[in-house]
Amino acid sequence: MERYVKGVGMTKFSFEDRSTHDMSHEAIQQALNDSDINIDKIDAAVVSTVDTEINDERQRMYGPVLSSLLKKKIPIIRVPAVCGGGGAAFWTASRLKYNNVLVLGVDKVLSSPTQLITEEIMNAGDNFWEQEEGVIFPAVNALVAQQHMLKYGTTHDDLLKIAYKNHYHGSMNPKAKFFGKKISLEEIKNAPIVSTPFNLYDCSISVNGAAAVIISNDKTDIKVEGSALATDYLAPFEREDMTVWNGTVEAGKESFKQSQIEPKDINVAELHDAFTIVELIAYEDLGFCKKGEGAKLIRDGYTNLDGKMPVNTSGGLKARGHPISPTGVAQIVEITDQLRNRCGERQVNNPKLGLTHNVGGAGGTTTVHIFKKVAG
Amino acid sequence: MTKTIRWICEKCNKKWIHPIETCLYCNRKIIKQIGTKLKVIGYTKVNIPCPPHPLVPYNVLMLEDEYGNRMPKKVIKDYKIGDIYEDKPDSSENTISIVKIKYDFYEAVKEALELIGDIDVSENTRILIKPNLSIPGYAYTGICTNPKILNALIQYLLDKGAKKENITIAEQSFFVPLEKIGKKSGIDNIIKKFNVNYVDISKTEFEEKQEREFTFEVSKIVNDFDLIFNVPAIKTDMLLGIDGAFENLTRFLSKKTFDELAKDVKKAVMALSVLPNMFPKFITIGDASIGMQGNGPAQYGEPGFYNMIFAARNPVVHDKAVQEILCLRKLPYVELAGKLSLGENDISKINFVGNELDALRRDVKQPIGSKLIKRD
Amino acid sequence: MFIKGVGMTKFGISDKLSHQLAYEASMKAINDADVSFNKIDAVVCATIEWFFSIEKQRHFAGMLSSMFKTNKPIIRVPAGCAGGGHALWVANQLGYDNVLVVGVEKLMTCKSESITDEFMMAMESRWEQPEGINAPASAALVAGAYLNKFPDTTTDDLALIAHKNHSNGFLNPKARFYNKKVTLDDIKNSKVVASPLRVMDCSISVDGAAAVVLTKDKSDIEIVGSDLCTDRVAPFESNDPLTWEATAISAKGAFNQAGITNADIDFVELHDAFSIVELISYEDLGFAKKGEGAKLIRDGYVNLDGRMPVNASGGLKAKGHPPSATGLSQIYEIAKQMRNEAGDRQITNTNVALAHNIGGVGGTVTCHILKKVGG
Repeated sequence: MERYVKGVGMTKFSFEDRSTHDMSHEAIQQALNDSDINIDKIDAAVVSTVDTEINDERQRMYGPVLSSLLKKKIPIIRVPAVCGGGGAAFWTASRLKYNNVLVLGVDKVLSSPTQLITEEIMNAGDNFWEQEEGVIFPAVNALVAQQHMLKYGTTHDDLLKIAYKNHYHGSMNPKAKFFGKKISLEEIKNAPIVSTPFNLYDCSISVNGAAAVIISNDKTDIKVEGSALATDYLAPFEREDMTVWNGTVEAGKESFKQSQIEPKDINVAELHDAFTIVELIAYEDLGFCKKGEGAKLIRDGYTNLDGKMPVNTSGGLKARGHPISPTGVAQIVEITDQLRNRCGERQVNNPKLGLTHNVGGAGGTTTVHIFKKVAG
Repeated sequence: MTKTIRWICEKCNKKWIHPIETCLYCNRKIIKQIGTKLKVIGYTKVNIPCPPHPLVPYNVLMLEDEYGNRMPKKVIKDYKIGDIYEDKPDSSENTISIVKIKYDFYEAVKEALELIGDIDVSENTRILIKPNLSIPGYAYTGICTNPKILNALIQYLLDKGAKKENITIAEQSFFVPLEKIGKKSGIDNIIKKFNVNYVDISKTEFEEKQEREFTFEVSKIVNDFDLIFNVPAIKTDMLLGIDGAFENLTRFLSKKTFDELAKDVKKAVMALSVLPNMFPKFITIGDASIGMQGNGPAQYGEPGFYNMIFAARNPVVHDKAVQEILCLRKLPYVELAGKLSLGENDISKINFVGNELDALRRDVKQPIGSKLIKRD
Repeated sequence: MFIKGVGMTKFGISDKLSHQLAYEASMKAINDADVSFNKIDAVVCATIEWFFSIEKQRHFAGMLSSMFKTNKPIIRVPAGCAGGGHALWVANQLGYDNVLVVGVEKLMTCKSESITDEFMMAMESRWEQPEGINAPASAALVAGAYLNKFPDTTTDDLALIAHKNHSNGFLNPKARFYNKKVTLDDIKNSKVVASPLRVMDCSISVDGAAAVVLTKDKSDIEIVGSDLCTDRVAPFESNDPLTWEATAISAKGAFNQAGITNADIDFVELHDAFSIVELISYEDLGFAKKGEGAKLIRDGYVNLDGRMPVNASGGLKAKGHPPSATGLSQIYEIAKQMRNEAGDRQITNTNVALAHNIGGVGGTVTCHILKKVGG
């Protein structure tokens, strides 16, 4: 089944206190306007949203909420996967036997103090082995980063360069949380420690937001060349090597195989930088460089806006913001915009192949999608 | 000693971090692998708090055992990479061991006892186990001692050489016939499984004992045993503060004594503080596997989900430690008992083994009562 | 797609945690299908994230990856009480050769007030929840409106439905009420939960898991119709709260795909979260005209020895209702019936069956039609 992207849309990711209905409506409206179809033509929908006890909406059955919003009685399914929900929803949507499918990611994370949000996100880890031992989400990624540093000599400075790059890109993205905010390398290096070796700028920021994409069998200018989802054991300490995230490896391999291309053919990529180390490990696990040599890419500027393969021109989770479920969909919005040459200051020169990489938890669920600009 | 646990298929050698009965691939039996020689291979110092882990900074260590299995552990002390991690067992009166249950109750009970210097048991040792079965409730509500704890304790004693004929479970309820509670809580199944003795204390003989101005009618059953285990369910209590080691002893008294004490709360607290003197030495195993928080100890409380087991040779030390960990107000009967030299009530002089006090402290729902509870 | 193997745990209060229950049911289904786990291409699971629970787990797919020791695609597709049917529908769409579908729920870990609160979150967040509308209240409002509009139907008819399900559940070893007798008087005299519904009108919450192995290869039971329809959150939003359109639309869709009509159905496993829901579903699924559902139960049409047995397993009422596992336990029952393995509750004509699963208060509905191959 060949899938094409018709239209995309997203809200600005921010701290604004808006209801999820409101944000969903905006994102869906934009996506419809960007496509050539009317809402009547939508045949099915896939929504990704986390069940959260800390937002003031306490709404479990999001499918019916969407049905009520769209005023349609079509099949609507919900596919959450914590931070990887957006990608998982898109992957599921591509496989449904319906023509025009709406993919929506929406989350209202910020209705509570940071402490509660930290606990909520911690609940993506194993209950008795990790959560009880204080392994909050920054901590588990910090332990992975430490292993990588011990094994391959990666330094904290390398990680902070990634944060700097993403903030530089994000300052040019009107939809990003950090739009218009220039952050210096000094400020990044001197930020307070969150969980050694990570400081505040190694960690992505929680925001509210929504993003939507409409896909279809009808031919358009953006073809979904590769679409793969793979999983890995929930807790990194259980895996053979904490610095190899098998979900990324397997999903990447499968996606490249489907597209019949190699990593070096990718022109622009949106990688999951929930923490700086995750982007660095993704360079290696996706095959853009050998295992252990991820730091080289960032040191050489390979992944900068003016580099050989710009990564996270949107600002990534770091500077765009990370509303959990919408992130995976927002990555697809960015790649679509890049392939359609709509990115203004952060436009990459004539990209033909784009890749999105979305991870749930600490590598538990991973999706890799490859998009190609075709004549259309 | 903290230990790692893995469940391994005897044929294909796949390892699980969760207990399973047979291998999904081979259909063969599973063997348990316990690792006790732990080395620090990574650590992170966490600076951001969340409700279950409010005291920062704390460290999360990544430990690796002699088989290459890893597990994270929360500590306050600082460690370097390469350090050996070990808990030092201590059989002194001022020691309390605290073990977090990693899916395996047997290993948790075993470790809790080993950390307070273990116990000596032979085929002639007469053992008495006193759980809390005072109010009927399903095991998962935390209102009675968890049958899984009793299951683990009895199995451990049998493995150490005790004979089932010499093991007795004794309890009484002042509210409801004991049979009703045994059935609902699931304790009945445990007793049937091991075929141990089961005694209703209300049907035993009582003798008068004097302590200061108090006269207690104490069940004579306590004189017939070599080893006594006091196994309370750890619950918050609107009157007493907590139901711990002390409260569980009250059901060794006759209903007459209990009713008299219940008439005057102030007197009851003073009587409670000298109660341990009525009994020979006993070991307290605090069942905080589920436990209760909020307006306990009965139907107005809610499950605590503490997931811990305590073990102590002195009840004052036990209840004091519980009060400090759950951040409750000082317990009057514990402070008084300490003043009367029944045990150590100065928290700085109590030796915590297995986990550090500040690594365990968290706020729980306090037993302050509510306007919604109808009082008669 | 075909049903190759099925498996389920006994529904009740379980010692095990949800990933262990899922493992147990999956093992049973894998063994029943006689297919190695290596052949499974993908796993679709359904489970709700509980807030007041001993296990705080938001990333169940990762847990299953750890339990199944695999890197294959695993997705979680929860939908409240429709999780099971929802997962089956998605699995049927994915296009793989062999798919494991598992639904699991562990909700008996907290006070019943907390469970009520959790279920209340399936109601609309500003219009319903603050007005005290929990799950029984929502169904009770529908029941009240129904009994008012169709005065011929009374609470006695609702009691008959509950009694039928208990008589069936009595015979089902996997049911919560297996071997536990419940008389019509027990039902009529039970305490009122939300008038006019009594305790015995409401299904019972339990822990449990159920799993199904689907294959593209021909097997003895085929899925000939599979449809999902999503509708409003709250009944008061629809023009007619007594007609649950999602049921009507998904049923029509499934019948069209299968190329059959209501008369062809031999037996049904339908979603009796409350006795009134079963009554309304008779009508919405097309087995009776609106307002005439009670006739089916009074005539014994839907009894175990009737023309079209409904809920031979005991239904949600007597089997128990672990929300995400229910939809798949219905498939389990249908498979057992079609394979002549239903013991004392064996039905004679088992060629074509309908499985009906509802989420929320008619928000998400799946209808599946299964047919014996070569029959």
